[in-house]
Amino acid sequence: MSLEITEKDGATIVALAGDVDLQTSPAVRQGLLECLETHDQVVVDMSQVNYIDSSGVASLVEAFQVSRKKGSFFALAHVSTAAMRVLSLARLDKVFSIHESTEDALAANG
Amino acid sequence: MSEAVDEMIADVVDGGEVRNHLGLIAAMTREFTATRDADVMAKTGLERITKYVGAEASSLFLIDDNGKELVCSACSGPVDITGLRIPADAGIVGRVYNERSGQMVRDVTKDADFGAMVDEQTGFTTKSILCAPLSLGDECLGCIEIINKNTGDGLFEADDLTLLETLAGAATLAIHNFRLTQQVVAQERERHELELAAQIQRQLLPPAGGPEFPVHGINMAARSVSGDFYDILPLADGRIWFNVGDVSGKGMNAALLMAKTSSLFRCLAKATDSPGRLFDAINSELCETGTHGMFVTMAGGLFDPATGKILMANAGHEPPLLLDGYGEQFTFFEAEAPPLGIMAGIAGPEGYPSQEIDLNGGSFYIFTDGLTEATTFGGGMLGIDGARALIREHAEESPDLQLNSITGAVRLPGQSLRDDLTMLIIQDSGTAEEKAAAAAPAPVSDDVVSGQILRIRVPAKANRLKVIRAGTEQAAAFCEADEAWTVDLVMAVDEACQNVIRHAYVGWDEPGDIVVDFIRDRDRLIVHLMDFADPVDQSKIKSRDLDEVRPGGLGVHLIKSVTDEAIFVDPPEGVGNLFKLTKRL
Repeated sequence: MSLEITEKDGATIVALAGDVDLQTSPAVRQGLLECLETHDQVVVDMSQVNYIDSSGVASLVEAFQVSRKKGSFFALAHVSTAAMRVLSLARLDKVFSIHESTEDALAANG
Repeated sequence: MSEAVDEMIADVVDGGEVRNHLGLIAAMTREFTATRDADVMAKTGLERITKYVGAEASSLFLIDDNGKELVCSACSGPVDITGLRIPADAGIVGRVYNERSGQMVRDVTKDADFGAMVDEQTGFTTKSILCAPLSLGDECLGCIEIINKNTGDGLFEADDLTLLETLAGAATLAIHNFRLTQQVVAQERERHELELAAQIQRQLLPPAGGPEFPVHGINMAARSVSGDFYDILPLADGRIWFNVGDVSGKGMNAALLMAKTSSLFRCLAKATDSPGRLFDAINSELCETGTHGMFVTMAGGLFDPATGKILMANAGHEPPLLLDGYGEQFTFFEAEAPPLGIMAGIAGPEGYPSQEIDLNGGSFYIFTDGLTEATTFGGGMLGIDGARALIREHAEESPDLQLNSITGAVRLPGQSLRDDLTMLIIQDSGTAEEKAAAAAPAPVSDDVVSGQILRIRVPAKANRLKVIRAGTEQAAAFCEADEAWTVDLVMAVDEACQNVIRHAYVGWDEPGDIVVDFIRDRDRLIVHLMDFADPVDQSKIKSRDLDEVRPGGLGVHLIKSVTDEAIFVDPPEGVGNLFKLTKRL
């Protein structure tokens, strides 16, 4: 699993890659929360996430809640079918702001 | 009794006999216990003590709830200082309170702690003070203070202090007694109010329709008030609104939110015929006023007896079941939206998603998790399979009898319910021709193989999950399962292994192993997860994903959502726990 942070048009893109599971989700959680501390527009690019489990979803939920509390923008982009399956089973597909691409996500915040 | 005390005081004052102290205390204690009014009790008690000691004035100080100030709660004498507050560490009263010992200040002018402020404000002249603590074990409730002796030089003697300390003991017990009584009265009042609330709640439930009416419901509260509800609302055109809901949490808060939600449903349903928009409106109202972390799962909609069709929305509620007209096949309907009261504005212009369901002569069952999570006679949880079996067993009965039979089966004699239980039945009286036309259930194919496919044995560590997932994919591929099926199985096995990794070997220096067996059983794949730790307390494992949008607790829900069965079964010798997943191919 890797987590790469880049700046794009004033927003922060967090690119996750690999499996987000019980082993790797603590790092994802910490990375996202740190990012939200200093940035108020965060898009998580999930195009390279092959697998995400409940602990990974929990990290996303926590980041989402922090962003709402701070009034920041937090969105997911490029969510794979498998990841989408978990989000919809958890009925979080309607809670998160989910977009086809990071560009779409940023445009949505426009 | 007052006359008796007066007589005794007169006797003591005239005769000056110390032996009468005991009689006075006994009489006063009797008087204290007979009085229900704290103020009257304190006031008369003080007056008696003042008169008996032969003093000019007296006051009763009680420590406030924070323990920071002493408050004058009663006084006797020329100046009324009731309500006066002094810091708990100030003055002679404060000193007695903190040192927990009675003190005599014969001449206040010689005591540095004496605060003259009260005298300055009231014009009273304090010469001599007696003060005794109201001690109760380690606790001190406050002090009794007596000012200026009436006789002689106006100064107190050592004997006076002994007497006051003794009287203070009786007063302490009286105050303590009174407070205990107050608590009991408050509890009784609370119980009474709860019973009233339960009565009002029962009145919120709809009246039962006749035997011919197609919709029937039942609600049983685990405590006096319920967080569950159902409603049935017939419209003039023959259609019928119905719902079943469950408020997260229990007790009075949940009951109030239940009352609010069911009222909103009843009120707003009259202005629309779209379940989706109705749910959206209820959600907006709930979110607007705040639910303090609570939320509501609800399935509800419109049933049209003329067509046998239901239009239903489901906000995070336990999937309702349709049993076909033959009493054979079940279909279940997953929630398509999160619970109500979590977030406003999550639905589109058409509101919450709704689904059209053709009952086609069958029966439709909506229930709360009080049914699926109810304890059975065997001690286990009923579960969705148990619920289906119960429903099928009683399917031939009339709706009201079914409700009684099913809820009766999970109501163990002499035990209260673990959770509120609510159930609603909608019966479609499809014609005989329609029933005959209903498609026959597909026969189960026997053309399948059986046997073990794969066994994985690894240490129960997070870094082995990837291996287990890869093995699971292979097992699914061996069964020629498609991609979506495989994704779901991988998720279920991974989440189940996570539970072992996270909880099974807690407290072990090095975690033990986890064994995952993949077994093909005709048209099903069975996965056995075994660990070698102590058996888990199954009552603590509960799907709580939708209890609130917060991190954690999703796993069990995910497992249940994508498998046909997920249960703990009795493990073989030498195995700690055996968790069995079954998924139809």
